[in-house]
Amino acid sequence: MNRFVFFVLMLCLMFSSVCYAGETPEIKTLPYNYLSVRSVPIKLSIAEEFTTKEPLNEGDTLKFIVRKDVYYNGKSIVKAGDIINGRIETIITAGMNGFPAEIIVDDFEIPGIKSTQMQSTYIKKGQNRCFWVYPLKWALTPIPFVGSLTNFIKGGHARIKTKDIITIYYYPEWL
Amino acid sequence: MKKIIAICILLLCSNAVFASAFLEEQNAIQSRIDRIGTDLLNYNKIPKRIVFTYTTKTKKALLSTDKTLTKRQVIIYDGLYQSVQTDDELAAMLAHEISTAVKSYSGIWGGALDSIQVALGSKKFETVADKRAVDYMVHAGYSPLALIIFINKTCPQKRTDRFSRHNLTSKRLARIYEYITYKYPQYLTDENYINNEYYQNFLLTSVNNRKLLEEKIQTKSTKEVKYE
Repeated sequence: MNRFVFFVLMLCLMFSSVCYAGETPEIKTLPYNYLSVRSVPIKLSIAEEFTTKEPLNEGDTLKFIVRKDVYYNGKSIVKAGDIINGRIETIITAGMNGFPAEIIVDDFEIPGIKSTQMQSTYIKKGQNRCFWVYPLKWALTPIPFVGSLTNFIKGGHARIKTKDIITIYYYPEWL
Repeated sequence: MKKIIAICILLLCSNAVFASAFLEEQNAIQSRIDRIGTDLLNYNKIPKRIVFTYTTKTKKALLSTDKTLTKRQVIIYDGLYQSVQTDDELAAMLAHEISTAVKSYSGIWGGALDSIQVALGSKKFETVADKRAVDYMVHAGYSPLALIIFINKTCPQKRTDRFSRHNLTSKRLARIYEYITYKYPQYLTDENYINNEYYQNFLLTSVNNRKLLEEKIQTKSTKEVKYE
């Protein structure tokens, strides 16, 4: 009898271990890994001056010129003078009360580098006129309707000049 | 007497069971929101802290401050969450808020000025947040058409937006559709969405606006279309 009880106990133990093995969570592998902080800066400038006055759509590409040779572990990544494309992600038009226009460029395409290995969002804003438009508005408010006229003052256009240095970062150890 | 004691014990137990079931449900919703929200942040390499909080409270009136801008805390209200059916739709809701929170980090004074501008120029930045939400969704592997479905289901259609802080929903939807058409046209042929009744409803209600967009594409115009 004791042997039988012992046998049943052993069976239970075996099954429970099987159950636990079945419940062991699988190791999840993410498609990204930001453990490494090692980054390589890549300096660019735009090939032709661009302003938000120009009629371009979001999604259009802009051409950029690499300013300096970039090496990683002795291997050349890009050379000075290389042309790379960046995409206009979003254009925010200039608004009333001095709100500036804004342009967001991203998705720079560098041969041999995956987009997941880059931190490349570049934002350029126009002149922010809110600093003086709002005080002016408040100062004019006592005179009926005059304060509202400042609504028609628009912010500055965003302009990426050829002399502007744009730095994007390549993280070689990111997935 | 024994029966009364038994009933009391039963009631106490059932209360505890209901409370734990409610907590588990809340926890499951919060976990789902955290998972999708964090996915959006990670896939888009957003190097800023943003947290997501689910609440059963109702949204307060106009004068309450937007915590997305002040604390970078995205609040998901129960009422809105009820309209979320798929992970894509939840991603759409979160991506829009993430976009606003990210904007609150940029600019001078720790992003304070930009936050004020977002709050004051809410119509313009609503459009921007919609567009950025589309980008975030695509980068994280969600279909951007879910944003159209989510807005189509949840945002009412006012008569005019002239004096409103928000754009007309039909305009918002048309602009999102235009953005997807130019940047991510491959999603427009997604069969899962073509066979979705909510998306079909959007297609039905946006015929005129889509005609305007077709004209813009045919004439290769870059001017902003005046949607209805």
